[in-house]
Amino acid sequence: MNVVITPEMVGQVVISGILSGALYAMVALGLALIFGVMRVINVAHGPLLMLGAYVTYFLFSGLGLNPYLTVPVSMAVMFVVGVILQRTLVFRVVNAPELSSLLLTFGISIALVNLAQLAFTSDLRAIEYLTRSFVVGPFAISGSRFIAFLFAIAVTALAFLFLQRTKLGKAIRATSQSAEVAMVCGIDVSRVHMITFGLGAALAAGGGALIAVVIAIQPEMGQVWTFKSFLVIVLGGAGNYPGALLGGLLLGLVEQLASLFLTTQLSEVVAYLLLVVVLLLRPSGLLSGRQT
Amino acid sequence: MRFSGLCAVLLALSVAAAGAPVGAQGSGPIRLGASLSLTGTYAKLGKNQHEGYKLCEKDLNAKGGLLGRKVEFVVYDDQSTPATAVRLYEKLITEDKVDGIMGPYSSPVTEASANVTEKYKKVMVSPLAATTSIFKKEPRRKYIFMVISPAEGYMEGLVDMGAKRGLKTVAVVNEDTLFSKAAAAGAVESAKKKGLQVVFQEAYPKGNTDFSALLTKLKSVNPDILAAATYFDDAVALTRQMKELNVNPKMYGVTVGGDLPEFYDTLKQNAEYIYGATQWEHTLPYPGNQEFFETYKRDFGHEPSYHSAAGYAGCLIYAEAVKRAGSLDADKVREQLLKLEMKTIFGDYKVDPDGFQLAHKMVMFQWQGERKVTVWPDELAQVKPRFPTPPWTQR
Repeated sequence: MNVVITPEMVGQVVISGILSGALYAMVALGLALIFGVMRVINVAHGPLLMLGAYVTYFLFSGLGLNPYLTVPVSMAVMFVVGVILQRTLVFRVVNAPELSSLLLTFGISIALVNLAQLAFTSDLRAIEYLTRSFVVGPFAISGSRFIAFLFAIAVTALAFLFLQRTKLGKAIRATSQSAEVAMVCGIDVSRVHMITFGLGAALAAGGGALIAVVIAIQPEMGQVWTFKSFLVIVLGGAGNYPGALLGGLLLGLVEQLASLFLTTQLSEVVAYLLLVVVLLLRPSGLLSGRQT
Repeated sequence: MRFSGLCAVLLALSVAAAGAPVGAQGSGPIRLGASLSLTGTYAKLGKNQHEGYKLCEKDLNAKGGLLGRKVEFVVYDDQSTPATAVRLYEKLITEDKVDGIMGPYSSPVTEASANVTEKYKKVMVSPLAATTSIFKKEPRRKYIFMVISPAEGYMEGLVDMGAKRGLKTVAVVNEDTLFSKAAAAGAVESAKKKGLQVVFQEAYPKGNTDFSALLTKLKSVNPDILAAATYFDDAVALTRQMKELNVNPKMYGVTVGGDLPEFYDTLKQNAEYIYGATQWEHTLPYPGNQEFFETYKRDFGHEPSYHSAAGYAGCLIYAEAVKRAGSLDADKVREQLLKLEMKTIFGDYKVDPDGFQLAHKMVMFQWQGERKVTVWPDELAQVKPRFPTPPWTQR
């Protein structure tokens, strides 16, 4: 075809890449937290994100709330759901072999998606809010994606502050470094697990709430986010929280640039090739990245 | 739950019928067998097709049945999976010994089931299979008949309208799946035929939600027409991002999804001016269409979709061929189906020697003032298209 790629076009997709990358980072941070602390790969992460998106949708369409005001609500609701899931199911597999936790969370994932289909139907729903974009020089920046970006950055920054500065955050990091030593030091490890799972679910839900304003939602929207989050934390080093931020931005940029220079179809291929390359060169990224 | 109950009843009925010493021919009702997607991914659409069959059964019986006998459908649920449908058609033919067969829902299920009906030399009118390869496969299938327009025809109208208005360039994008690829190939073909230049073509994976890079490229070639071979989710995502990135071709059309009321509900005024392709609308001036629409709504409590109408029309086409053949014999019915030219509530029926649909016309609509109105072909158009599409800020 006769598409000539200009610097403006590259700039445009780099902007898009950074905007979506921040969102990837925020969602993936939730998965990284849960994995870091509990060694549980939460396959239900995407479906939790989907539920967060529905909370926002119903608050917007039912009560007429501003969708951005619903983000903390959605995160709080899903924090509670996460805590309940951890209390009833996930705690059983924390010290079990990784396959058990995969199977359990996979089961939760299927159950959540099917329950959502029953409860909400498979119909596509969208929040028509802020569909405009603003123009900066030669670039068009989507309003809803830009606000999602700001939220994602803010939430991610708050999460880091929480982990670095608060007592509970330190307890979470201590548990992720060594559960036994943490326990000896008087940290209530099972409480930390509960809160971490809640936080992970809340981060997913926040992502879902923001996505609900950007694209239309349906019960099966989550699974792709499980994969993307997984990709991000492996790229950044599993259990390594700043790594999630780096991995998220990297994935966003790679996807967009691959779509621009190759085709949209190949962008996923390139993203997963990148994963393979990272695993070949830095296999320690997976499972052993325990430094925070 | 409800369907499994229904199936159990149907099963019991068919077992009873098979056990009865009726020499299948000549007496008792004519039993037509079909496997439909009553649960699973296609449930919503398969159910509409089922209702089309049911209404056809009722209408035929109200007019004295077929060949002087009552008509009765035997329907099983294939759960939207081709493998199950294969088993069910095998059962319908060998165990239930039904008198005639009607097609299932969707191209993949029809493709698989056609192997069974061919093996037993049973005629199968397939009202909801739009993929050309099913009918043009080597060796050619002899007993399968198409009712709806093929995938390749979905974008013909958009290109034709554009060409008539002096537009020169087309961009084609599609989801990378069987149907959408065929629709995109059809769009490129029509563009070439009408002398338009295809300046951009790209496929995207199923489930794609971020079209920034694709649209950035598309914007740089500034096409007059954008033909998007979509399903529903991607049509919505693409449209929203076109607005965000201010991509504004003079005409923009989608294949599937654009015809659903949800398309407008989701996009609101941003759906205005968008063109879409459809197999059927209840507003089309086909004989009996209005009555069909009213009766259907009364009987089933909701409006019919094109799946309902195609199911209904497909069943009547088969019945007409049986009537003309004066027999249920597959070869005699086949001969009549090949010769038949019929005007139905779904549009025209006429097939080539492979059973491939030639006469049925796709129609193009445009969203105008919260309603979709038919704008192509000219002889069926309710109004003229609003052309060209204004900037996003003026919709």
